[in-house]
Amino acid sequence: MGGADWTAVLRELFRVLVFPGFAFLLLLALAGEWLDRKAYARYQHRMGPPWFQPAADLIKLLAKEDLVPRLASRAVFTFLPVLALAAVACAYVYLPVAGGRAVYAFPGDLLVVAYLLTLPAILFFLAGWFSGSPYGAVGGVRAATQLLGYEVPLLLAVLAPAVVAGSWSISEVSRTLAGRPELLPLQVIGLVVALLALQGKLERVPFDIPEAETEVVAGTFTEYSGGRLALFRLAIGAELVVGLTLISNLYLGGHAAWGPVPGLVVYLFKLAVLVLILAAVRAAAARLRIEQMVTFCWRVLVPAALLQLFVVVALRGWWLL
Amino acid sequence: MGLWQRLVRWARVKSPWILHFNSGACNACDIEVLAALCPRFDVERLGMLLKGSPRHADVLVCTGPVTRQVARRLRRIYAQIPAPRFVLAVGTCAASGGVFRGCYNVLGGVDEAIPVDMYVPGCPPRPDAIIHGAAQLLAALARSGESAAGQPYAGTARGAAGGGATAPGGRAPAGDGQPAGDSEGRVAP
Ligand code: SF4
Repeated sequence: MGGADWTAVLRELFRVLVFPGFAFLLLLALAGEWLDRKAYARYQHRMGPPWFQPAADLIKLLAKEDLVPRLASRAVFTFLPVLALAAVACAYVYLPVAGGRAVYAFPGDLLVVAYLLTLPAILFFLAGWFSGSPYGAVGGVRAATQLLGYEVPLLLAVLAPAVVAGSWSISEVSRTLAGRPELLPLQVIGLVVALLALQGKLERVPFDIPEAETEVVAGTFTEYSGGRLALFRLAIGAELVVGLTLISNLYLGGHAAWGPVPGLVVYLFKLAVLVLILAAVRAAAARLRIEQMVTFCWRVLVPAALLQLFVVVALRGWWLL
Repeated sequence: MGLWQRLVRWARVKSPWILHFNSGACNACDIEVLAALCPRFDVERLGMLLKGSPRHADVLVCTGPVTRQVARRLRRIYAQIPAPRFVLAVGTCAASGGVFRGCYNVLGGVDEAIPVDMYVPGCPPRPDAIIHGAAQLLAALARSGESAAGQPYAGTARGAAGGGATAPGGRAPAGDGQPAGDSEGRVAP
């Protein structure tokens, strides 16, 4: 193999592992968690945690004793957090970050990303189920039940921009919509549905039913400690970033440079705005019961997503494209 | 001290997650603990978070005297917290048994059951006193890097609980040489 090939391989590895791949995602996950907690605190008129808080939590958990309950299956117990983080990190590779281009893009990557983002919820269910604790089992079943609620509206909402752009590739959709910003206001309903469904996917208030500490201790994660818990927390933080990156690509017109402002800054700005919105939802709402959550998803979010789809299909048929 | 140890000590001081346990308090201390966790005092500034599961906790905040009924549960919850773990005894009762000392059903202060790192006196202590106690605990941790009460989970706690804490696979400080696995269904990783 010639020298040129090696540089190409190294550049590819750099793009997957460092920027805009894995390392960048982990950094963003920590920063996103901090911004979320800080904003939440400010909404409550508190000072909130210092900027290094998520990093301190992570290091502390990594250095703590890591217990496996006797009733839990050791292999599954160890494997699940790694798999959750891996699934989320895989999805990030298909999302355009700075500029209009993802590391990898192919027609249909939208569905792959949607599937990869569903994996963590299923892994949370397994994690709870196999932890040998009744609280974990109840939390896991709740996580699986909740999945039936938010997954369909999220998929329907993600469908609308794909129909507008006439493509199943996220990079393609993002580029098309960035070229025609007048189409973005037509997708506000879809944006709201997607944000609420993402809130459910991330198991945050008001949809934190699987982790309701007043009912099921810590739900799915009751038995997790130390490094394995740290990995799960990292996976959830990364899922927040990946989910919001997907939404900002599909609904906010991607991250091309705005005149002199580089694409990376645009990306971070849009991400921060979305985190602030999600933190506001978290601060304003109280926890729902599981059947209220599923009912809300099917009676409100699904019809809203269908309406959005109808609007988009009608527009595409009669007016614009 | 290596860089990693320094980093870990810093992280431990900056991120104490607490578990609140009432071992027989009259409830006044508990209400003050909850008041200390309110947005008004904002303990998240210090990195403190209230956790529901003992597996996630670092600091056990214990209120009230230890009744004979609850002593076994207290020891079990202490054993469920992964090492290194710390105990903050809140209130006069938690320090010595207080007004309940000598009752037929009361064992005494929290240190009769499990090792205690820091005491916060008062009946009940004010929220700012509780936060001060927690800050003192963290300051002691920052100085020594270890639990003031000593890590070995032994002494009064051991016999009655039917086995001590797990030997945490070489990551615990010297002296913690308990057999792996105990009555709480824990095994070392
Ligand atoms: S110290 Fe006072 S307030 Fe606290 S539990 Fe004892 S009697 Fe109640």
